Amino acid sequence: MQKHEVLVIGAGLAGQRAALAAAQAGRDVAILTKLHPLRSHSGAAQGGINAAVGAEDSVDTHIYDTVKGSDYLGDQDAIEFFCREAPKVVVEMEHFGTIFSRAPDGTLARRPFGGAGFPRTVYAADRTGLALLQAIYEHLSTARVTVYEEWDLVDIVVRDGRVQGVTAYDRKSGRFDGFSAPTVIIATGPAGRLYGRTTNSHSSTGDGLSVAYRAGAWLKDMEFVQFHPTALVETGILITEGARGEGGILKNRLGEPFMVKYAPNVKDLASRDVVSRAIFTEILEGRGFPGGYVHLELMHLGKEKIESRLQEICEIGRNFAGIDPVTQPIPVLPAQHYMMGGVATNIRGETNIAGLYAAGEAACVSIHGANRLGGNSLLETLVFGKAAGLAAAEYAAKGVPVAVTPADVERSESGVRARMARKDGVEPLAYRNLVQEVMDRWVGIFRDPKELEQAWEALGGVRRRLPELRIVDESKVFNLNVTEALEAEHLIDLAEVVVAGAIARKESRGAHARRDFPKRDDVNWMKHTIASYRPEGPQLSYAPVGYTRWDPKERVY
Amino acid sequence: MSQDGLVKVPIEVYRFNPGVDKAPHYAKYTLELAPHTPVLSALLKIREEVDSTLALRYSCRSAICGSCAMLINSKSRLACQTPIGPELAVHGRIVVDPMRNQPIVRDLVVDQAPFWKEYERITPHLIPDPRKPMPENEPNPMSPEEVDRFHETPRCIACGACYSACPAVEADPAFPGPMALAKLYRFAVDPRDGAHRERMMRIQPGGLWTCLRCHLCTSSCPKDVRPSERIRDLKEMAIRVQGATEAGSRHAVGFKDNLTDRGLLNEMKLVRQTDGLLGMIGQLPQGFHILRKKRELLRAPPRIEGQEEVRRIYELLEDEGEDRP
Repeated sequence: MQKHEVLVIGAGLAGQRAALAAAQAGRDVAILTKLHPLRSHSGAAQGGINAAVGAEDSVDTHIYDTVKGSDYLGDQDAIEFFCREAPKVVVEMEHFGTIFSRAPDGTLARRPFGGAGFPRTVYAADRTGLALLQAIYEHLSTARVTVYEEWDLVDIVVRDGRVQGVTAYDRKSGRFDGFSAPTVIIATGPAGRLYGRTTNSHSSTGDGLSVAYRAGAWLKDMEFVQFHPTALVETGILITEGARGEGGILKNRLGEPFMVKYAPNVKDLASRDVVSRAIFTEILEGRGFPGGYVHLELMHLGKEKIESRLQEICEIGRNFAGIDPVTQPIPVLPAQHYMMGGVATNIRGETNIAGLYAAGEAACVSIHGANRLGGNSLLETLVFGKAAGLAAAEYAAKGVPVAVTPADVERSESGVRARMARKDGVEPLAYRNLVQEVMDRWVGIFRDPKELEQAWEALGGVRRRLPELRIVDESKVFNLNVTEALEAEHLIDLAEVVVAGAIARKESRGAHARRDFPKRDDVNWMKHTIASYRPEGPQLSYAPVGYTRWDPKERVY
Repeated sequence: MSQDGLVKVPIEVYRFNPGVDKAPHYAKYTLELAPHTPVLSALLKIREEVDSTLALRYSCRSAICGSCAMLINSKSRLACQTPIGPELAVHGRIVVDPMRNQPIVRDLVVDQAPFWKEYERITPHLIPDPRKPMPENEPNPMSPEEVDRFHETPRCIACGACYSACPAVEADPAFPGPMALAKLYRFAVDPRDGAHRERMMRIQPGGLWTCLRCHLCTSSCPKDVRPSERIRDLKEMAIRVQGATEAGSRHAVGFKDNLTDRGLLNEMKLVRQTDGLLGMIGQLPQGFHILRKKRELLRAPPRIEGQEEVRRIYELLEDEGEDRP
């Protein structure tokens, strides 16, 4: 049984930034992660991080771009805080040692990004996430933080209306254990593996979201799923928006640069929901390449620019698609990329449960609303990771007595043991595939009411098979079956919340594009979806959008 | 190749489950796959369709998280970035083992503790110079040329393939290994770091010179970080800061002195410079051997024709090295 004052779940950028803030506030901090911190999915972020750092740019434009990008579902008060903090946290990361790309005058280099009125995306070649992850990990080693590596989160223990800590599973020893902590920060990142076709890592299974949801935390706006316009056709591996930021152009089978039809002003740099729908429309209307994809062309940028600013993309093209982006177009197709929704929080990372916090992609503040702008997610991890860490440290300092008991650990363990005792049933990876097939097939870029109903029906069937979930491997050492069984349960929970929210929301806004309701409906639907856990399925309610000064307008790029 | 472009892939995977298996063994599988399929996808197919108890680490499947380093046909590399086609063409099958130089936990999973311990040992964080405070609310200025000086070291994903491939790690547990040294280089050229000198003073006795420049780290690195080239740079930097304090650096400096002096090696002089007079006693058996076989090696060589040009080459190289850290 372990004991800490602040327990962070997940060691990506949000988790590490939260841990750093809490440790600097003098608290006893631990991070529990299912990977090594440097293997977190934050490291896969390529393009950059938005911050109005130069004199020519302004925080106000960043706020406006984000509000507009969110299709007016983002909370404007939260977005104002977010954009004001941006230059501070970026400078902090530079001081911690991040190796950013530089302009000739020695200042931070910036590139244009989708949906932004100014080239404000600070970057480190096309591996900005990796550069930031390295720097925060390096800097965190100067603070006193315990790291529990390769532990899976199993349950959050809530008693007397507040968090007591968590139970978790150690992959190396096969042991379940309890971690008492008055504050728990969920920073477990994305749930992209709801889909088979995703840019996200295999580890992105939304663990913290579903565990928090089952413990009574609200999930917000889960129906808003971002599809990145440019991912490799076969594998869904990400091709950064930075590729278009540097001048890359999307073309259809007829060689037409088609984005001019959909976003006459900014063309290929429209926001992601717009570009993904455009690609999909081109393919549906028969202008895609055989098999259904389009081309992203970089060739005209020249070898030197491509190889210096888009080095990872060159290697991805060569290693994973067998093409050389310097001389050949990259075949691309949208893929699931980001969840705008997450555990509902305020700007201090606080949730509806005392002692429970969330930050980063696992959280929904909401600053992204119905569609996130490229370059705002890395920023989100740092701004709200830090805020949640500070808020948790403050609460933990009160010294509220809490305890995870052996009975809590036993309860978590018994579920896994029962699955191990089964002699037949469905294996975890097969179960995961059942969820992914439904989501890939019926819950994509365009949402058809009949298909959503089919998805709901099918998920019901998958849910009914959950008792059949079976762990084949009986080993105590690095038993991935146990991990995957836990993940499978996360995925079915979250899939239901996404689909329930999508069926209920009878409008089109940002990434949620309904065939039967193609227009945004501000009168009835300018509100957040809140899902609460009920054994029979998610219960939906709605919450108002935070408003300061930007009236909703039609979104044109 | 079959009509649908699939090939039959014989794949042999190291399996060992401690406490269950008495000894490691290779499990043999045959899969039908397209030639461009990465080895990782093949292993995941085995987990999904044949045996889900196969243990391995993997996450991003796009060569950025560094989880899936392993031996593929005896070479340390990322499974996600290694297509099966070229492997089959050369070896006719795919043999997968866990990485070397780290204890095996189960199947393809190793305990990376030794690797991370070496990483920790180089003080892997910026140590700001207290006399030069960072600008308040502003980023430190850094020119694109200063960014170039990091070379490819910021691309390191800490996968451990270089550590697995390194014979110096195997031979000398005190040797930090390629990744830790490439990371050290990253801090040693960072204009924001105030401890360049201390870092160099500490590393030279720590086994820097165990590196024999076999370049296996560079050839195994999935991100082209080129650790062996940065180790070469560190050697130069260490000598510049501290002088030649180790057998390895004395040997390197002695080698250069010999060449600039005569244009040929003077073996006697080189041994004396490397090991010192006392150290030469240890080399006596070797000396007797040489005396019998190749007596002329023990005499000072003549000055070669054009020796002045050799000296000039070294001078030019030194000038070029001036702006190096």
